[in-house]
Amino acid sequence: MTLSVQHLWLIPALPLAAAAIGALTPRNGRTLAAGVAIGAMAGSFLLACLALAGALADPAAHHTFNFDWFDLGFGALRLGFLLDPLTAFMGVMVSFVSLLIFIFSTGYMKEDANYKQFFCFLSLFAAAMLGLVVANSLLLLFVCWELVGLASYLLIGFWFHKPSAAAAAKKAFITTRIGDLGFLLGLLWLQDTQGTLLFYDGGAGFLEPAALTSLSTLLPCGLAISSAIGLLIFCGAVGKSGQFPLHVWLPDAMEGPTPVSALIHAATMVAAGVFLIARVYPLMAADQALAAVPVHALTVVAFIGAITALLGALIACAQNDIKRILAFSTVSQLGYMMLALGVGSWVAAIFHLLTHAFFKALLFLGAGSVIHAAHHEQDIRALGGLSKKMKITYVTFAIGTMALVGVPLFFSGFWSKEAILHAAHGWEVSQLPFYAALLGVVLTAFYNTRLMAETFFGTPRSDGAGHAHENGPAMTIPLVILAAGAVLLSLVNLPTYPWLQARLLGLHEVHGHPLSEGAGLMGLSVVLVALGIGAGWALYGRSLRPNASAPDPLAARLPGLFAALAHRLGFDELYAATVGRLNAGLASLATFLDHFVWDGLIRLLAALGEFSGFVSRETDERTLNGGFDATSGRLRGAGQAYSRAQTGGAHGYLRTLALGFVLLLILAVLGGAR
Amino acid sequence: MNADYAGLFNALQPEAHLVLGALLVLGFDMVWARHRPANRHHVALALGLLALALAGWKAAATGNTGLVFGGVLLIDALTVATRVGVITLAGLALCLLPPPSRLRHPAEFVALVLFATTGFTLMAAANQLLIVFLAVELASLSLYVLTGFDKTRPESAEAALKYFLFGGMAAAFLLFGFSLLYGLTGSLDLGTIASQLALQRLSPLLLVALGMVLVAFGFKAAAAPFHLWAPDVYQGAPAPAAALIASASKLAGLVVFTRLLWPGLGSAVGTIAHTPVTLGWGPVVALIAGASLLLGNLGALAQSNVRRLLAYSAIAHAGALLLGVIAAGRLGVAPLYYYAATYGLATVGAFGVLAVLEATGPAQKLTDLAGLHRRSPLLAGCLAVFVLSLAGIPPLAGFFGKFAVFAAVLRLGGLSGPAGWLALLAIALSAVALYYYLLILKQALVAKPAADAAPVKVPLPAACALLISAALLVILGVFPSLILGLF
Repeated sequence: MTLSVQHLWLIPALPLAAAAIGALTPRNGRTLAAGVAIGAMAGSFLLACLALAGALADPAAHHTFNFDWFDLGFGALRLGFLLDPLTAFMGVMVSFVSLLIFIFSTGYMKEDANYKQFFCFLSLFAAAMLGLVVANSLLLLFVCWELVGLASYLLIGFWFHKPSAAAAAKKAFITTRIGDLGFLLGLLWLQDTQGTLLFYDGGAGFLEPAALTSLSTLLPCGLAISSAIGLLIFCGAVGKSGQFPLHVWLPDAMEGPTPVSALIHAATMVAAGVFLIARVYPLMAADQALAAVPVHALTVVAFIGAITALLGALIACAQNDIKRILAFSTVSQLGYMMLALGVGSWVAAIFHLLTHAFFKALLFLGAGSVIHAAHHEQDIRALGGLSKKMKITYVTFAIGTMALVGVPLFFSGFWSKEAILHAAHGWEVSQLPFYAALLGVVLTAFYNTRLMAETFFGTPRSDGAGHAHENGPAMTIPLVILAAGAVLLSLVNLPTYPWLQARLLGLHEVHGHPLSEGAGLMGLSVVLVALGIGAGWALYGRSLRPNASAPDPLAARLPGLFAALAHRLGFDELYAATVGRLNAGLASLATFLDHFVWDGLIRLLAALGEFSGFVSRETDERTLNGGFDATSGRLRGAGQAYSRAQTGGAHGYLRTLALGFVLLLILAVLGGAR
Repeated sequence: MNADYAGLFNALQPEAHLVLGALLVLGFDMVWARHRPANRHHVALALGLLALALAGWKAAATGNTGLVFGGVLLIDALTVATRVGVITLAGLALCLLPPPSRLRHPAEFVALVLFATTGFTLMAAANQLLIVFLAVELASLSLYVLTGFDKTRPESAEAALKYFLFGGMAAAFLLFGFSLLYGLTGSLDLGTIASQLALQRLSPLLLVALGMVLVAFGFKAAAAPFHLWAPDVYQGAPAPAAALIASASKLAGLVVFTRLLWPGLGSAVGTIAHTPVTLGWGPVVALIAGASLLLGNLGALAQSNVRRLLAYSAIAHAGALLLGVIAAGRLGVAPLYYYAATYGLATVGAFGVLAVLEATGPAQKLTDLAGLHRRSPLLAGCLAVFVLSLAGIPPLAGFFGKFAVFAAVLRLGGLSGPAGWLALLAIALSAVALYYYLLILKQALVAKPAADAAPVKVPLPAACALLISAALLVILGVFPSLILGLF
């Protein structure tokens, strides 16, 4: 049994209905709201599995279902749904991770007064995210893209009474909007040149050869049209996926409840940018064959990704908030995915996206479990000693960490990272991104070792951590399932049997190659991981922190660097000093102009207007206004007079009926006689 | 005539379900439910809705089989859409069943609604004068009884009597007109009538016949000057009956008369777009439309009773709908159907709000609505959707209905012909109409509630009906092609 593309809309429709029900539920309908949300998500997950079965039956085909939304002057604006392996894998991942996080939330948000609203927002988010995944139209994708942005805004600011949460929500929304402006421009340009925004449309979609050929013409500046549009669309991905230079919102977004961070700001929404670029990959790659262009779109993607991967890993080394560390780690890992896209291996990017969704959701939920148990203590300096108190959280968190670090062989993250490194190594344009990625591997191992050592080992360094105990099954079961996923997911795309890769590329046969082929690179990365873990252990593990206020060992050795990294390399200050100040300057200029220049002009005009108004009032009141009033009055009077004619006497009515008939006949005859 | 009974049975499946459903409701009530007063209402309502649902499903499942039983019935896209439309509207109206204190015989009421609906669906399929007459009469007779069903209020009986007298006269006119048509053409079949009339010149006799048919048509559509019954009936009838008269009855009536006028009497249309005027029913319908627009909108301005206001608004809408009839011949029935169906939804919804309010206290005067947003936000919100749709505010369906009909009329011949100035008149009067619609909303959304006003509890069936109507109005407003694309 499979789900055909005509019914694909059901996958986002179920959580959307759940969101609607949640919105209409009274505030005390907690069980109902959560139950409906989880039930709808489970339904979506089942449907997504059926869709996956359908997509795998014929992996090379892009099944589409397109329909007219409405007619405009130039033709119909069309939307549609798309079913291919990329959509199907994403759909299964999003719905599955969402389902687990919904279940986790029933435990995590238990004491919150706005519990039912939380599930309403979560369902809205899941609906928009799944809609984004199944869209076959850039416009529909954009609509859902904005909707996930809205849901993200609502959920980051869920505890809006905290000023920091409200500010973070605003920052996230505005920063991503900057990228979305580029996306929108690209979308409009594409509609203008191609007249369609459908991905696949039986040969007429813009990702199909005919359109790609016509998009390969050069602009006066030397870029191909496809690269220009692609880079504009990439702006949207930069904003949404927290890429340099728009990465600043993502760490602040950790002000939201932790399940939100896990779902939106680790597993799904931030990966939407990667998914978008993978989806429009034929467009991004259309300029690869052109030799004369100054820069290929994908080259930009690769360098942005490499910079982000390195930058995120660097900053993560000097953060103290458990969620911020994970947030910068997310920024870094998304950089890896972008790097993979840029160097031409979108399959490796999607593989890493899927594995990352599992282990990062696991890490965030583990962090949530820790925070919930430790009475909302998030500073790793004040935690510690949790390995004995929270065994399940500790073991699953360790599995997630090893997957993120890339501990060899048994963890999915190792294989997906290996695929990216392999692709970056084989890139002809430049080896710089490859070296950045290698450095990132060391740093990732380092900061994660620090995180583990500070959080779970040693002795509790605060009351909250001291009284922590393991959470209930609603929170631990999702952790266990996600941990299993973080391990088992490696099986779908081993180098010896790259099943996922073959299906994504639309192949029926799976061509593996022996492990010995990439053994050198693999060995190098294993050595680098060991180096990172060793350095982290030497600094943080051997001599554990005695109390919360003891200085950081790294800060003691490299105070300048550590301070710079702890301040996130000053990006926020830089933006505040440049963009923020420019904005403020423009605002004060506008105020000045408004107050003195325009206001003066307006006062002058107003004086003139008053004069002319005085002159014309007399005439106006007597003719125009008076006429209108008189008309209105007459209308109302006519109505009253007429309603007096409605006497209520039945015989009068019947007489009117007959009279009306005669009148009609007379009029018709008169009209005919003329 | 070749007697294709299987085809006839197939075509009449919705009607069969409705009639069987009505008998079942009555029988069940007699044997079982009357001894269980607590459940009597629910059982009757549930069975009635079940019958409507089955009939609606059958109606939607019937394909476009074309002429049935030698041309007695015609099943085409319009028939299917109209049947589904009237059954939906009847179902929504049925959900407004008055509480047991106001309605002592629920089963009879439900059965009569089902019989009336049978008449409506038959009107949608009728393609022969006798069937037209039978269907119209079946629907009308059921509606007379429904109007007088509320024995606790003398207004109800008065309204029923007036409606019956007026309707009886109109039926007499209709039958007389039909007999003249039969005499002129020698056939009852619309196709044969059309081909016969195409050969004839416009005789005075035909003119009289046309006039008589139009009188009945005007009565059914509540168009001026045959509208006088409407305010009294809307005021006096129980809410579901009034809702049915204002929505399903109007939709079915317009469809059957459009069938009669265009495919049947299309050759006698006369001028509709250009001067000089030549004789036919076209100019007459245009006159009726103009008169309805004027009298309806002006009459509504002076009303202080909500139901009478809705009645005058119905008369005004009848005028706009007649414009759709005029345009239907050349540009298709899609705008007319869309307008009539969405108008029906909005009216059923408005009467639904009044029905819920009536169960808690008086709901006749405009001031009885005061402070509705405090007493029941659900009712106030739904009422806002219905009234704004009636007023034609985008993105609600009422706007697109008006837009589609006016655009169709203007495409007939621009502004130069009679249809052009009618469209202009209709647009100008829409501005007038906004005034009295906003009077309703001002009371419901702005005014403070009376000191003794209690919160309103909305019964579940009524809440469902209101929410469905409001949702449909929004959805059809956003996706007008869901209906416009059917034809």
